[in-house]
Amino acid sequence: MSPAPRWDAVVIGADVNGLVAAHYLARAGRRVLVVDEGAKPDTRPEIGWVPPKIVRELGMTGVRIEQPDPWIAAPLSGGGRLELWRDVTKSAEAIRRLSPSDAAKWPEFCTRMRRLAGVLEALYVQPAPDVETREVGELLRIAGLGLHVRRLGKQTVIDLLRILPMSIAELLDDWFENDTLKGVLGAAGVWHLRQGPRAGGTAFNFLHHHVGSPPGVFRPPRSTITSVLAALPGVETRWGTEAAVVAVGGRATGVRVGSDEYSAAVVVSSADPQQTFEPLKPQLDAEFVRAVGNIKSRSIVARGTAKLERPADFKTLCLAPSLDHLERAYDDAKYGRTSARPYVEAVATDSRLDLHVQYAVTIDPGLVEKVAAALGVPAGQVSLEPQAGHLYHGELTLDQILFMRPVPGWSRYRTPIEGLYLCGPGTHPGGGIAGAAGRNAARVILKET
Amino acid sequence: MAAAYDAIVIGGGHNGLVTAAYLARAGKKVLVLEKRPRVGGAAVTEEIFPGFKFTMFSYVVSLLRPEIIRDLDLPRHGLHVLPLESTVTPMENGDYLAAWGDHDETRRELYRHSPRDAEAYDEYGRLMHHMAHAVRPILSMVPPDPTSFDPRDLLALLRLGKHFRGIGAERLHALVKLMTMSSADFLDEWFETDVLKATKSASGIIGTFLGPRSPGTAYVLLHHYMGELDGVFRAWGFAKGGTGAVSEAIASAARGFGAEIRCDAPVARVLVKGGRATGVALENGDEFSAKVVVSGLDPRRTFLELIEERELPGDFVSDIKRFKFRGSSGKVNLALDALPSFTCMPGVGRQHRGAFSISPSLEYVERAYDDAKYGEFSRRPYMDIVFPSMIDPGMAPPGKHVMSVFVQYAPYHLNGGWNDAKREAFGDAVLNTIESFAPGLKSQILHRQVITPLDIERITGLSEGNIFQGELALHQLFFMRPAAGWAKFRTPVRAYYQCGAGTHPGGGIMGASGRLAALAILGDGA
Repeated sequence: MSPAPRWDAVVIGADVNGLVAAHYLARAGRRVLVVDEGAKPDTRPEIGWVPPKIVRELGMTGVRIEQPDPWIAAPLSGGGRLELWRDVTKSAEAIRRLSPSDAAKWPEFCTRMRRLAGVLEALYVQPAPDVETREVGELLRIAGLGLHVRRLGKQTVIDLLRILPMSIAELLDDWFENDTLKGVLGAAGVWHLRQGPRAGGTAFNFLHHHVGSPPGVFRPPRSTITSVLAALPGVETRWGTEAAVVAVGGRATGVRVGSDEYSAAVVVSSADPQQTFEPLKPQLDAEFVRAVGNIKSRSIVARGTAKLERPADFKTLCLAPSLDHLERAYDDAKYGRTSARPYVEAVATDSRLDLHVQYAVTIDPGLVEKVAAALGVPAGQVSLEPQAGHLYHGELTLDQILFMRPVPGWSRYRTPIEGLYLCGPGTHPGGGIAGAAGRNAARVILKET
Repeated sequence: MAAAYDAIVIGGGHNGLVTAAYLARAGKKVLVLEKRPRVGGAAVTEEIFPGFKFTMFSYVVSLLRPEIIRDLDLPRHGLHVLPLESTVTPMENGDYLAAWGDHDETRRELYRHSPRDAEAYDEYGRLMHHMAHAVRPILSMVPPDPTSFDPRDLLALLRLGKHFRGIGAERLHALVKLMTMSSADFLDEWFETDVLKATKSASGIIGTFLGPRSPGTAYVLLHHYMGELDGVFRAWGFAKGGTGAVSEAIASAARGFGAEIRCDAPVARVLVKGGRATGVALENGDEFSAKVVVSGLDPRRTFLELIEERELPGDFVSDIKRFKFRGSSGKVNLALDALPSFTCMPGVGRQHRGAFSISPSLEYVERAYDDAKYGEFSRRPYMDIVFPSMIDPGMAPPGKHVMSVFVQYAPYHLNGGWNDAKREAFGDAVLNTIESFAPGLKSQILHRQVITPLDIERITGLSEGNIFQGELALHQLFFMRPAAGWAKFRTPVRAYYQCGAGTHPGGGIMGASGRLAALAILGDGA
């Protein structure tokens, strides 16, 4: 057997963050190998904001970003649907039929939320502020962030302080009265969280998923960025390759694939932190192991597809008729059960529906029937698959963001294992932001190695 | 015309009294106006049933700031706190979990449930002790205004940042967790014994409209950990004569410094001339002028009832209107012929000198919250039970007892609203639940008083019956309490100040708001 070639960096995971990190490293002249356990590139659309910087810096062409218009449709109890559009005025017109008072507040709500999402965007394309730093440069950066926010005006500062820790239910109750509207917006607040809309921090989760969208659009865009990245030249990708980090004496030396070992100066993992550190436990400090074990990553979403007889008459359908409906769906999950009446969202491509079902603790025929009934299709046309682990590799709760992500004190992509870096959604800024963690990680790696 | 008083304090609750005492101590001529026949607000002791004294609402003391006890020399004015040493949690299977005054005994008890938790218990206690110390300076500081460009605010914010960096990375992370997590999630990181987590997390839900699995409750856990009696952290106590005696002691200190206190004197409105408070008008029409008016009432009444909306900026009014109260606690006070015997620890003994916590499991407490979430009182509520007459025999006739039951949840916004029948049904739910842990209790009851959040509002004035004058939620704390930009005890109306628990640092018989308000007023040169 000939000795395996030595790589400058091996990236585990050919998902959007892994590929972004790989390409940034490759563009800086590093020899990069990407390994992924999947048999072939994932062609499903990437859900979440694509920071324009990444597309520009990597010189990507042909990235399609789709945000349907209307971006959501929700059935009304008395028949008909509430449809919300990219055009704030048009949405306000639609809302006026349900509540003139809500319609009057809609434009102001959209402006205020957009401004807060803008603050998050600024925070997301750089490493999380290091609050423990004693370095002048980092302190200046934090001060700069503070100034950036202050320049947005007093109202924005107050909104940030007030809204981020709030529950989405309280936020929406402050503004609106209509249940359908609050259900549609509230659903974005609980996305991928094992929390109900009355839980503190769900307003943050709502804003997190508003990032990258125009004012008045509260569902993330879907893009082809991952497919474009996979086809972008510059890095070698090996599919169907399951790899584990190899470290000796607290230093990463490469990855193990089957009985082979690929040696590399740097190993970058976009995999789940818990999974990444599992084989390294003997070399890790007990406190760190405990912190990793404490990452909350409870999967409560089932994704799947449904087939309609004819093309759907909607683009995105949200079945969450009220905040109470969401809260009751969560109550079941709280006690370890799948929701008796789950929240279902369907994105249509002709007659095919992509489904998001929450809260699903287990997937059983009962759940499939419920989802089918909610959509009005035969159960045989619905297939659901459990999420393998948490999609974001850690819930986006307030104690697991910024300098607390993935674990407190280790938010700068490096790990206690020298030469091992993380770049997945388990790191700042988390899931639902395509490639930001990968880019932030690559920049740190280039600076440090 | 010269003002008759230097300062008028509206409301003779403990914070108003503390403010009055500090102002009088500085030589100011002070008048306190209280609507009820006695001072104390929600910290009162009343003889509802002949011979039996009830601590009507709040029932334990611990958060009262030691500097206030010292500055006002409260022991000389009759403050005498007796320790409340134990907590026993009866479990559904007939077992119990007990925490005793003696540390080693508590550890042995915990070991019985889980050796691992007994190990973790000390480390947890140390961490919380450090956290409480780290947060303590915050309690005694006027919150800086993060929206201001005033160099003094920027400097204060920087100092605050420095303070928190100074506590060390590990504790800073723990603090962030405490500020943002649910008490159940936080405790899950430490312990495995369900009943232990349930009982600890219960202190995180007191006075909130949240359950143990709701983020933000871990902070309230810490808030209660800050209990500090005579400088000893985490010591809960019971005031001799009930919590009313605490109010009486502060009132006595205030009078000693020359303050005048009038009861049965409900204030109708604050007089404002040219954007400046000039005095108050009572409901009977009497007017009093003062250089400074201080409201000890909650933010809703302070700004939306006592003064005209047009005196305030529109943004501020909407902030105050959005301030959340949502009272969730009720109280059942019982006069007893004899002490009840709990199945888990039969007979009468030292356990009755401490608290009984009805929090057998996390799921039990969480389900109690679920009921309230949808507008019903808990069918099987969380309860904190104490027997004040066991600690201070003067509370009941010889051989008889009083039992104080703090109950959660009883939502202020009950489906269909509260009425007499609902109140009694709530009382029945409480007694039936206790009866299941202490059979025979019902036959020992001589008199029962059931208090709903609506009753709390009607009697004390506390909006929506919230015992903390506004929820202790993250977005309603520190520089957000009661509204961003107005957390420094001043108000948009000149010479009008706020000193109640609706300001930083908030509820509990702490008195910190009252003291900080007085210092702010004196600092302004009033």
